[in-house]
Formats: sequence, structure tokens, C-alpha cells
Amino acid sequence: MALHVESVSKTLGAFSLNNISFDVKEGEYFVILGPTGAGKTIVLETIAGIHTPDTGRICWDGGDITHAEPRARNIGVVYQDYMLFPHLTVEENIGFGLRQKKIARERIREAVEKAADLLGIPHLLSRYPGTLSGGEQQRVALARALILQPRVLLLDEPMNALDSAMRERMRKELARIHRLTGTTVIQITHHFEDVFALADRVAIMNNGTIVQVGEPAEVFWHPKDTFVAEFLGIGNLIKGVAHRAGSLAEIVAEGGVTIVAASAAQGEVVATLHAEDVIVSKAPFASSARNCLPGTVTDLLPSGSTIKIVIDAGFPLVALLTRESCRELEIAPDSRVYATFKASAVHVIPVNGEEG
Amino acid sequence: MRRFSLALTFCIFLVIAGVLIGLVLYPPLPALAASLASPEIRFAIGLSLLTSTISTAICVALAIPAAYALARYEFPGKKVVSLVLTIPLALPPLVAGIALLLFFGTTTWGKLLESMGFEVIFTPLGIIVAEVFVNLPYMIRILKSAFTAVNPRYENVAKTLGCTDTGAFLQVTLPLARPGLVAGTTITWAKSMGEFGAVLMLAGATMMRTETLPMALYLNISAGDLDMAVAASVILILISLFALFVVEHFSDEAHVF
Repeated sequence: MALHVESVSKTLGAFSLNNISFDVKEGEYFVILGPTGAGKTIVLETIAGIHTPDTGRICWDGGDITHAEPRARNIGVVYQDYMLFPHLTVEENIGFGLRQKKIARERIREAVEKAADLLGIPHLLSRYPGTLSGGEQQRVALARALILQPRVLLLDEPMNALDSAMRERMRKELARIHRLTGTTVIQITHHFEDVFALADRVAIMNNGTIVQVGEPAEVFWHPKDTFVAEFLGIGNLIKGVAHRAGSLAEIVAEGGVTIVAASAAQGEVVATLHAEDVIVSKAPFASSARNCLPGTVTDLLPSGSTIKIVIDAGFPLVALLTRESCRELEIAPDSRVYATFKASAVHVIPVNGEEG
Repeated sequence: MRRFSLALTFCIFLVIAGVLIGLVLYPPLPALAASLASPEIRFAIGLSLLTSTISTAICVALAIPAAYALARYEFPGKKVVSLVLTIPLALPPLVAGIALLLFFGTTTWGKLLESMGFEVIFTPLGIIVAEVFVNLPYMIRILKSAFTAVNPRYENVAKTLGCTDTGAFLQVTLPLARPGLVAGTTITWAKSMGEFGAVLMLAGATMMRTETLPMALYLNISAGDLDMAVAASVILILISLFALFVVEHFSDEAHVF
């Protein structure tokens, strides 16, 4: 185990961490997923040494670093608002860490250029952070942390300030950097897409505690309690292999059933589908929707004014119906039904950042 | 409303500008030049520059760590400390001066300091002490808001990149608080140049000894030498204009008041 966090508690104003424990393996991409206000940033700052835990300990390769100063830990941090030093140029920002080590000017320059190349920003070196776009600032912040070859890189909601197209690109970028540098990465996020695109393992956090840790599949398909299930409450997660079919993607789900999605993704994917986007009917439903799967109702789960219906369509498919529709369609366990949904309702997440 | 408020603003402008210009133009120009060149005014300018510069330097040196502590750390009694540090802001300088006079003149501490050669009563050293006492709270207040405005995460990042606490402060926080530091230093310096009440009480108004520019103005107006008093005033007006210019220039970034 590279990083070992053991029973860490910390109270900081209105926020608190409560008996947090987890391990991160060397070279692993570890994602901490949780809603805003769960205390995720404090976890990162405590690992980085900004806060000293009230109780508990943090170890690296068996050595206790609970009370080590941040600068002695060699742990890099990239905050969601990047925190580039506004009074320094991009070059000075990236070289900041090496300058603290009193390394010769030319050596710093070489290293800065190498780091800038890795992130595709050599043309920005003489600029000031205030003149950069969000994506550019993020690359500079990554370069500034990576230049010290940290044993752990901590990323605080790195995709949060970016629009969705940039997010997708940044995910691929992070996957590439992780592959190239082999650095252990701990990223916090509240986007579950990040988990499938990047994570080797994921921890779910709520209210200052870690609720569940495991591989993404394990956590998503076997949520430990109702918080995890509801927080991840996307309805349907369909694992499969995608290939191109005209302008759409055909995904062969794990059970062998094929669904159609509006996506250009290929290879291993996870597709998500909101339960409310699934139309249930007794007879095949003629419409413009590309997907109409026959199945058998296995479960009816009432929740408020609606009922969740689990349909075995080769894989478990969840649909959300009102109680009235349920009654009118006479849906009961073992009813034969058809589940219809549009290709555009299926959201495809490429696994491990690889795409088309 | 628009017409009325604009007209009123213009009237206020005319009165202020008129009064000040009237002062500067009161003595004939050759007389003003002669007064400015007189040994007494030259001494006053020199003494004012020297004492203000030293007292400002002391204020900066004391205010930076104090303001940083107030901006960043939580400690028991922080509210009381903040309040006491702010009292001299609202106190008439004359009262501050008399308190200092009594402290140095009548208490054991004051006498002990005097026996160690730290003589402040009716001496030029007293000018510096009075100026520091009156102006330090301003400096701390301005710097505190300047430091508070700098996100502590900058320091966090600097520390993970290899800085000590002090290194992170010197390389990141202090440069980012520079506008506040410049504005605070300028205001402190200008206020020291014009400080009257506290200096009068502690250092007195001894001609050619503790005679700063405000003292020169006071002594000469008492003696009826209007030209000399105006000469001292002209210098003080110039200093005010300079300070205003610097503060205005940096005030967009600095949170001065």
C-alpha cells in the first residue's frame, strides 16, 4: 500500500471529517466521489499536510507522515480554481517548486520546457495566468505540480470549472498523463462520469465519512446503502462494447442484447439511461425511438408517487412509472412488457478515457 | 435632482479649491520662496522627513506580522486584541499624546526606559514614538484587509511546492498584498508628516529641536509670522496631494478603508 489513511478525524469550522480510512495503491487512479459539502477538499488538504488530523494517522509506504510538513511530503495539489500565482508568469509558476530547491536556472528552464511540452503549453510560457483560459490554466497548474515528480497528485474537482466539451477532453488528458507518468492520483469529483472514465477504484463520501470504497463496477452495481444508491441514482448503468453503426453506436450489453445510442464512442463503454426516459408498454411501441426491448418485469419498487419497475431485458433495466400508469397497464411481477427509449437518451461514457 | 446635486458638488469643489489656493497665494511669491529657504523651515522639512520615514518603517515592520496573524490565525481573545488595536484610530491624537506623556513620565516602566537612554519626552525620539503609536493601527487595519483578500490556498499550494511557511508568505502572499502595502505605507507616511496633537504632547514644540512642519506652522502662527506658517502649509499640502495620488493609483486593488 502506498498511501494509508487510518481513522482520520478533523474538525475545521463547520466541516468535519469523521474517522476516515482508505488505502491507495502505488500508481493507482483513485477517485473520491461525493456531493458538495461532503468534506472532500479537507481530505485532500489533510493528505497534503495543510491540516493536521485531530486523531488518526497518514502513512506513506509504512512511514508515518501525519505530522510531516507539506514541503517534506512531495505530494502535489491542483485546486479546482487552479491557484496559479497571478504575479508570476506561466514559466515562473511551473518552475516555482524547482526554484525552492535552489536548482540551477538552466536546469529549471529545461525541466519547465519538458513539463510544458507534456501538457502541450510551450507557447504560453511568457504569459501571465490572468490572460489564460480555464483549460490552459489547468494545464499550467498540472505542469506546476508534475514537475516535482510527486509521489501522489491530488486533484480537487479538476473538471468543475470547465464546460462539458472541455471536461471530456480533460478526462482524456488526465488519463494520458496518468499513463505517461505513472503517478498515483487521487481525484475528487461529484461527476460520476469521471469514475468510469478514469478510476481504478472509487470511494464514495458523504457528510465527512467514507461510505463505500471499491472498484467502480462493484460500487455502482452493488451500492452499500440507500445514500450511495440515490447519490448514484442515474437509473440504469449498462456495461458493454460499442461499435459504429452509421452515425450511431451499437452497444452490445453484457447479456448479449444490443442497444443503440447517439454517440461516436467505440470499444469498452458504460452507458447510462435515466429511468424516467424509459417508456413501458404491453405491445411493441411503434415510434421514432431506436430501442424497443422485450422483457419480463422482475420487481416493483414503490417510491413516493412513482414506482420503479425492474425489467429483465437481457440485463436489468429500470423504468420509472406513475402509480396510475402502472395500474392502467396492469403491470405485475412476471408481466411481459416492452421497454422503449431513444438513442439520444443513452449517454455513453468511454472507459479509461479511450475514445474513437 | 441631477442639476441640484451637480451644482452642489461644484460649489463644494470651488470652496475647497478656493480656500487652499488662497492660502498658497497669500504671501507674495518672493516672500514664500524666502520662507521656504529659511533655516527654520529647512530644519522642519528635514526633521519631518526623517521622523516620518523612520516611524513609517517601524509601523510597516510591526504591522506586517500583526496584520497577518489577525488575518490568518484564530486565537483566544482575538476579538479583544482586534478592538484594542483599533482604539487609537478613534482616539483624538491629543489624548493619545497625553497618555504617552504620562506613561513615559510617571510610570516605573517609563523611568526604566529613560534610565536605559530611551528618552522620549520633549526629544526628537518622542516624535517617532508618538507617530508610531498613532499610525500603527491604521497600518495594521489596511494590511489586515489586504492579507484577508489573498486566498490562503495560494499559500497551501506554495507549501506543497516546497516553501516553508515564511517562504510562502514572502513569495506569494506579500507580493499579492502589495497594493495594500503601498497604500498603507503612503497613508502612514503622510499622516506622520502631518501629525500634530500626539507629537505636541509628548515631544513638545521646541524651536529647531522638535520642530516638525506642523510645529513650525503652529509656532510661527503663534508668533504672528504668517509667511513662515504658510510656507510650512504649502509643503504639507504638496505631501497630501502626493499621498492622494499614490493611494488613488492603487486603490482599485487595495481595500483601504
